[in-house]
Amino acid sequence: MGLTIDWKKYRKVMKVLRSELEWAREFRRSRADWSYIESRPEPLRTALKVLVETGDLKGIFQAYSIPLEEFNEERIRAKIPIVVIGLKET
Amino acid sequence: MYTYKRKNKGLGFRQREDIFKLYNRLILPIVIFVEIKREPARSFISYPLATKRLLLAPRIDLVDSLVLKLYEIINSDPNLPSIDPPEAYVLAFAKYTGLPLLTDNASPKIAAAFLEELHGTKVYDSLDVLALLYSRRKLRTKIRTFIEDTGIEFSRRRLRE
Repeated sequence: MGLTIDWKKYRKVMKVLRSELEWAREFRRSRADWSYIESRPEPLRTALKVLVETGDLKGIFQAYSIPLEEFNEERIRAKIPIVVIGLKET
Repeated sequence: MYTYKRKNKGLGFRQREDIFKLYNRLILPIVIFVEIKREPARSFISYPLATKRLLLAPRIDLVDSLVLKLYEIINSDPNLPSIDPPEAYVLAFAKYTGLPLLTDNASPKIAAAFLEELHGTKVYDSLDVLALLYSRRKLRTKIRTFIEDTGIEFSRRRLRE
């Protein structure tokens, strides 16, 4: 692809990334307002559930053709946090 | 870019104007600008645009060649959070201009950590910006306010960093 991966740095990042992404997923699950999510019409309900699992706001709004800002407002009402993860080994 | 609507939690950091204490000007590539369609985000950007504290950057062909490579390498790796074309563009734009990229999306920061072509490219998330803006004494309070206003949270590891 014409880009060079520094594999030593890649492995270091991956080691942290896996646990951070899992932590973020659990955090979103625990914070989400599930009764609100279940009350939403389709496809919004599924989109919000996928957001809880993946955290990929932009990928999901494209996949479900929901305007980004509208989807973000739904995310906030559903109490699904955006989680900023750490990458450094501490 | 933060939107602003105090009554609804999560729609904007109440001290978002503070970012101009850190940077005289912000550059917003047009590929991101077109994603901002609704109020109050449009209202928020109109004044800095009029006073030239916020500049719109046109799409540049030179940047596009790196965009496609970044898009492919990041999205072909199932271990990495995906990147969308506008985000790949601003990452490549940051590389070419030498300006820091401000984003809370994980993939640009991750890519900059291990791709040699992005060596030296700075990617700052909200916590980086808050830490640059506020003294250690005020930082804890500001982080709490930011979380309350935006619905953006930081992992424990990220806070330790």
